Amino acid sequence: MMKRFTSAVLSKRRALLACCAVGTVMMASPAMAAEFVLGSELPLTGKLARVGTGMSEGIAIAIDLANAKYAGQHHFSVQTIDDETNPAKAVAAVEKLASDHVVAITGGYGSNIIGPASEAAAKAGLVYMTSGGVAPELTQRGLDSFFRINNADGYGKAMVGLIETMGAKSVAILYSNKEATAAMATYVQKALTDKGIKITSHEFDDTTTDFKPIMNKVKLQDRPEVVAMIGYENDYIGILRAGAVLKPDVKAMVGVWSLATAQMNKEFHDQVQGVYGTSPLPYPVVFKGGEAQDFAAAYMNKYNREPDYLQQFGYVQTMLLIDAIARAHDNDGKIEAGEIARELRATTTPTMIGDVTFDKNGDNPNFTHRMGQHQGDRVELVWPANAATAKMNYPAVPW
Amino acid sequence: MLELILQALYSGLLAGGYYAMIALGLALVFGTMRIINLAHGELVLLAAYVAFEMERSFGWTPLASIPVALVVVGLTALVIYLLIGRIRQDRELNSLILTFGIAIVLTNLILMIWSADIRSTSNSWFMDGVVLGDTLFSMRGEVIFCVIGVLLLAATYWWLNHTWQGRALRAVASNRDAAKLMGVNPARIEALSFLVSGVLATFAGVAVYTASVVFPAVGHNLTIKAFVITVLAGMGSVPGVLLGAVLIGVGETLTTTLAKPSLQELTGMVIFLLILFLRPSGLFGRKGMVKK
Repeated sequence: MMKRFTSAVLSKRRALLACCAVGTVMMASPAMAAEFVLGSELPLTGKLARVGTGMSEGIAIAIDLANAKYAGQHHFSVQTIDDETNPAKAVAAVEKLASDHVVAITGGYGSNIIGPASEAAAKAGLVYMTSGGVAPELTQRGLDSFFRINNADGYGKAMVGLIETMGAKSVAILYSNKEATAAMATYVQKALTDKGIKITSHEFDDTTTDFKPIMNKVKLQDRPEVVAMIGYENDYIGILRAGAVLKPDVKAMVGVWSLATAQMNKEFHDQVQGVYGTSPLPYPVVFKGGEAQDFAAAYMNKYNREPDYLQQFGYVQTMLLIDAIARAHDNDGKIEAGEIARELRATTTPTMIGDVTFDKNGDNPNFTHRMGQHQGDRVELVWPANAATAKMNYPAVPW
Repeated sequence: MLELILQALYSGLLAGGYYAMIALGLALVFGTMRIINLAHGELVLLAAYVAFEMERSFGWTPLASIPVALVVVGLTALVIYLLIGRIRQDRELNSLILTFGIAIVLTNLILMIWSADIRSTSNSWFMDGVVLGDTLFSMRGEVIFCVIGVLLLAATYWWLNHTWQGRALRAVASNRDAAKLMGVNPARIEALSFLVSGVLATFAGVAVYTASVVFPAVGHNLTIKAFVITVLAGMGSVPGVLLGAVLIGVGETLTTTLAKPSLQELTGMVIFLLILFLRPSGLFGRKGMVKK
């Protein structure tokens, strides 16, 4: 009887101890776990709505996959405000997000918008992470809280590298007078001139729709081997259509962002054949590596189509930010001022767009893009050689 | 250099043809109701997107989609008119605010339905080159819609001057109360002018979709262009619209050829300011219109 009593008491004590142990663990987890709300200021309407929406989708996938990765530890969500492609509204959006106590900002598109928005974030003590602004000026301001995973130099290096590989002796650069495109044109012009290539350039306004007068100057006066286009989708299509009508005697049409994409291949198939543009991946997309495949599957599951570079960049920038937030928090269970920025500067992470590190200005010095070419129904990577999925078709123009 | 200038003049003339088509609808409403319809560019854009939808869903050519676009844009124009009709005070000023709001709603509606991707016809027939004398180049679509634009301008001019409705419209524009005393129903005539404006916007939208690219934010640029041409032309003047549009078109292309392409928009504005300075009532506006 006594033995049974002792045993019962011991069992109760063990149970109590077990309960205490479980309780301690359960009490400890919430103390370490946290709910993080990221802020996102993006152009979901206005001229940059397409690219803003693309980045927003990438951010959404990063949030989903981060919640799976940190399940039971942390939970992440994003509060998004549309800046309507307007710098003043972007500043207001960042201020609103700061007043709502978001932990950091991911987003932004257009260097002229990101500039004031990231300054507002710096004033509010928030890290601002982007892939939507490549102008060199953005990282020359000495902001400790500004980070970006790509830059004009990376795009420029790819364009210059491709043209050098082609062995072209003369290039006509047609570029939009927006901040990022003008900066990129300056970089490409200098880099090609330094290599002894003859350059002519034509700056156009973003309201230009008829490119025939410009293309006629290229055809009759410049007579280049290659036309380099630095603008956006509508500019590319305008230039290519003018080229198709005037048929200048050139060997290649080379563009930058938003050109060697699945969307352009589908929508403007005949007009982009043989045309080059920056592209991190070929199309149809081939994702290598576990994280990239997870991203592609999650994106396909959520949006029922294949991701392009906009979503990839949005995903990568947000995942790097989330990892830095988690590390900053896990150090001592709280995030102190400047800790996320310090963690980001300590980042040495291989990502879908290559290794990412941040220098003292928040720029990613490792960033170099790849060049793709529209070949039939596919976008093949043709530069650099170690990333190529097909041989470059040269000379090749759509007409 | 001569070849370049000739091509610039030719491109400018073609651009003028379709600028005129965009501006005429705005000019008509401005002339009859003293209302600047800031949603006019969005009506043009709506027609372009209807053409896109017909091409994507049914494989119709842009020209074949015009009847459907006419219905959609015409009805939208009438809804705008009905909303403006509810304004009781300071109609000229309040309609500016109202149509600006409608423009924002239409832009976002287009964005929701068709997303922010750029769109243009995939029909290669419209993009094929037309070469005149080995020196003048254009797309077939540009020539077709320039001709349609000029024909529409001529038809509108004839309608305004040789039909009862046209005369009634001019009477309302001239003196609303006097027209009412003569048995004209101003509300019906104003609705008619909005409807005709919608018809013109439809053709302009299909032209833009065929010769250029469209995306939701482009409507605003179209409204500005139409407004500049309308003011340049003089209140509601059809020949003025054509001349103003050609002046802007040629000015832009010559600037591209002889100076810098990035200055072409500035050139349009300089022409606009210069003509307003020399002729405050516009190219074909009557003296005294400004004082009034």
